Amino acid sequence: SAAAPRPWRLFGAMCLLRLPRITQPLEKVEEEMAALMEQIELEKSHYSDHEIRKLEEEEQLKRKKESLYDEDEARGKAVIMAQDLEEKWEQKFLQFKAAPRITDADKRNDRTSLSRKLDSNLMLLVKQKIGNQELWLLPQVEWQPGETLRSTAERAMATFLGDHIQAKVLGNAPYGIYKYKFPRAIRTENNVGAKVFFFKAFLQSSDLSQAELKADYLWVTKKELGDYLKSEYLKKVNRFLLD
Amino acid sequence: DALLGCHRSYRSRPTHGIGKFKYLLPKEAPKTRKGKVQMKEIDTGTEYQYGDVNIQMTSYDLCLVEHFAQYVHRLCNRLSIRVNESYAMPTKTNEVLFMEERGSKMQLDAVLTTHQRVVQIRSLSSTFAPILLEVIQSSQPEGVHLLMKQHTEADFKSRLKSRPELEELLAEMS
Repeated sequence: SAAAPRPWRLFGAMCLLRLPRITQPLEKVEEEMAALMEQIELEKSHYSDHEIRKLEEEEQLKRKKESLYDEDEARGKAVIMAQDLEEKWEQKFLQFKAAPRITDADKRNDRTSLSRKLDSNLMLLVKQKIGNQELWLLPQVEWQPGETLRSTAERAMATFLGDHIQAKVLGNAPYGIYKYKFPRAIRTENNVGAKVFFFKAFLQSSDLSQAELKADYLWVTKKELGDYLKSEYLKKVNRFLLD
Repeated sequence: DALLGCHRSYRSRPTHGIGKFKYLLPKEAPKTRKGKVQMKEIDTGTEYQYGDVNIQMTSYDLCLVEHFAQYVHRLCNRLSIRVNESYAMPTKTNEVLFMEERGSKMQLDAVLTTHQRVVQIRSLSSTFAPILLEVIQSSQPEGVHLLMKQHTEADFKSRLKSRPELEELLAEMS
């Protein structure tokens, strides 16, 4: 057959991942194991300098109360007692407030915000019009001859999120491919179907101050992908996603 | 027992030197006492392979960093990636002084130690490298900084201690 008997239209799609910020909560077994190991370590460990000092000062206090030794007072060692230091540290610790693990966006279940599930990967989904239907897809753009597929994917990202995104594309090789044939009505000699090549990128900064262009967008975890993507597409996408 | 027995072959007898075999083995190069010079680096050429890649993990928490370094080492073993070396850089101690300017100036001290572990990998194919990076990044514990870079001479030299007396003598000589 000739050079391109059944030419497929090529698309480059970008799977933009936002890495998790917090570790996932431990399972029950892991928690029990961790508690057990801590207890074993505590029982096996020796006293640290601070603890030795504390014990000595307690003994001195006891001796002072029972029988007044002048020698200990004459030394005048401990201006600041170890107990005082501990209390100071405890107060400081109480003042410290950690950031909440479950943010507001989680409570509202607002899928368009980035600060949603802080312990899992979030992916960008965009509503695109293909043929007659409007579908939820990973942002994709058609390949133009003369550019690499990776730059096609970067262009796709740029069209939906604006130019200055700090995203790091992983490698030059695509991660997955999805091909589909057009319905018979549209199929012509030259356009049998389309192949979509997926690339992966990590989102470096969490600010998306640039306005999102036109289409609706969502940040979705792997489990929630099933709500939006079609089954065939989902199968191919799931192949290259780590949890 | 007969094999383990000590049979001394006398020098006059024809059986002298019967058990010798070291002359049959190929000659080994003598071990240089100086630190060995770095191996050649293969860059992304036609084979699409990275040369020596250093994975550096830094943290304040010693146990965490060591366990993570062990995990990375074992992961590379399982994925049959050659690990050249896995070493530790010297720890850096930082003293944190608080200056409270309410009334009397108090200085509270805190001592922080920064630990660094390095795992050196060889012949990483460039199709596999991003997958490895993603796996390591997703299993990164909290409080550990990860850095992956190619091995350079500067990295190699940073492990060695400088000898000021030798440098002085060299400067005097030249």
